[in-house]
Amino acid sequence: MGALRHIIPIFLGFTFPAYFVSGWLGGAEASLRAAEPGATNVAVASMAEEGYCTANLKQIVRRVAGACGLLDAQGRGCQPADAAKLVALSGDDFNAMFLPMKERVHIIQFDKKSVDLDEGGRAAIETAWSARGGASFFFVVSRASPEGSVESNQELSNGRAQAVLAHLEATYQDPDIKKRVGLLQLGEEFAQLSTDFCQWQRSRGGDECDEMQINRSAIIAWIDCAI
Amino acid sequence: MSDWDETGNDSDKRWSGGQFEPSNRGRGWLILLGLAAIFGAVMAGISTRDFISHLDGQVHAVSCSVMPGGEAVIGASGCKEAMLSPWSSFFRTKYWGGLPVALLGFAVFAFIGALAFAVAFSKQITRRDTGFVLLASLVPVGASAIWGTLAATRLGEFCQVCVGMYVASGLMFVLAVVSHFRASPGSGAWPWGRFGLWFVEGLVAVGLLSGVYAMRAPDERKSLDGCGALVSPEDPKGVLLTFPGQGTTPALAVLDPLCPACRSFDERLKLSELDQRLAMKVLLFPLDSTCNWMVKTSLHPGACQVSEAMLCSPAEAEKILAWSFENQEHLLELGAKDAKALTDEITTRWPAAKGCVGTSRSKDKITSGLRWAVENALPVLTPQLYVAGKRMCDEDTDLGLEFTLHHMIEQHANPTAGGR
Repeated sequence: MGALRHIIPIFLGFTFPAYFVSGWLGGAEASLRAAEPGATNVAVASMAEEGYCTANLKQIVRRVAGACGLLDAQGRGCQPADAAKLVALSGDDFNAMFLPMKERVHIIQFDKKSVDLDEGGRAAIETAWSARGGASFFFVVSRASPEGSVESNQELSNGRAQAVLAHLEATYQDPDIKKRVGLLQLGEEFAQLSTDFCQWQRSRGGDECDEMQINRSAIIAWIDCAI
Repeated sequence: MSDWDETGNDSDKRWSGGQFEPSNRGRGWLILLGLAAIFGAVMAGISTRDFISHLDGQVHAVSCSVMPGGEAVIGASGCKEAMLSPWSSFFRTKYWGGLPVALLGFAVFAFIGALAFAVAFSKQITRRDTGFVLLASLVPVGASAIWGTLAATRLGEFCQVCVGMYVASGLMFVLAVVSHFRASPGSGAWPWGRFGLWFVEGLVAVGLLSGVYAMRAPDERKSLDGCGALVSPEDPKGVLLTFPGQGTTPALAVLDPLCPACRSFDERLKLSELDQRLAMKVLLFPLDSTCNWMVKTSLHPGACQVSEAMLCSPAEAEKILAWSFENQEHLLELGAKDAKALTDEITTRWPAAKGCVGTSRSKDKITSGLRWAVENALPVLTPQLYVAGKRMCDEDTDLGLEFTLHHMIEQHANPTAGGR
């Protein structure tokens, strides 16, 4: 009896905890075997897809992006004739595509017969670029007012688009720029802007605005469509 | 021959100072001591059960209350903080989660409880035996003092179940003192043999229970192979911050400076000291919709501005991160109420970031980092840790952090060693 009494402490001190601990460990092992590692419904980081990304818009963006060299990183840009053929839309319908993006479009204005960016234009380009978020494509749609010859306006339109691209490259030195920026040089021939666009974010927002002035411009906008 | 005084000089009473005293003096106090030990064992058992339930890597409720009707809590709580802290277990790099301190407490309380009852119901209770019980009660008292101090000074949190164990330890000590002084002095030679036996029994009880735990704890873990990998780890645009360190194993932490889980993760990583073996880079992933299009609402308002400050002043980035973790609640509140005031507070504290936070260039850096996350198809959550390009599974970032990280570091150092 005395010897038995001696082992009571170890008997109770070990067996009771061991009984419970063994049971709990068995349950944990079964639960671990049933669980798949990392099996949680967590979203994966992705580019943005906004509500205005209709099938029609995506199709046009893809066509323009491909034809203008964006997707193969050439960034050569599209001429007015290419653009009209590619988008297969009237000028007004083409402009209407930008309406849902009013808040994020910036209109960079230029002087008559000039391709030089002013301070306001440079700042607007930087603001637009830094606000790209998860957007896939950055469009520069440049125009010229219908004064002078078609050829000289095409040159102006090309120069304005290139000025925007050059400023981006000089400022950010980002290898992505060539892959992301698409140039659409519309000259005076296609999709001229109406004075309705004077109400949009302009680099010369304080200045007066008429149909000539609003078309001496480059519209820049990120397009939030996962294409 | 047993040195337990079975016969005693008196079966019921002993002579002391001219009068007979009952030989069972102190029995009631010893029984109370045994009950206090049982209470401590129940508390330690609850804590052990909670700990073990987390060995499957899933989210479970933790018992936070010893009061009747108190419910277990899922999510952040003092109990969870205590359980996840490095002081809740030993050998954390050897076993996933380690060997829980509560398990040892469970064995100690159970053993002392059984010992107290064994002494209480012996034929004669003397100070020789109660003295041993008193000495034994110093073990939980000492442990409670150590872990209570750690909770107060290092953790800043107390869990009720732990407090229950501290109370049980204190009660046991008081009752052991009272029963010792109430017991009759005893006579004859000191029963060293019995003391030795009890001492060894105590060690064996704790050792055997630890052995059972070590043998039966689940060790086949699929998650050790990681949960994904970086598909495009190059950083041509320099969007990743480099934190100075002496480690050689490449690692990437995906953090949000205003994310409470990131703060806890950072604390655990530092306490583990395994961060010293990592060459750490950080990708800032603010869960704030003002700059992150992947979240629809700002989970951590103001995180974009703090992140911008870190990217504006990369040399101070680690200090800015530590500061934001330290002042997280205040910065979150300010970010939700007044973004400009938050920017002012950041640039006042970190002048090097002045003239940069809020500009298109700093926003561009944040965006570039987030686009890097897209290129690598990272999950939209923080914190994340990638060791040598391999993502640590979420279930391994808390209780199993030391074990898993140690394993991943070793696997990187010795890729041919096999591993799991």
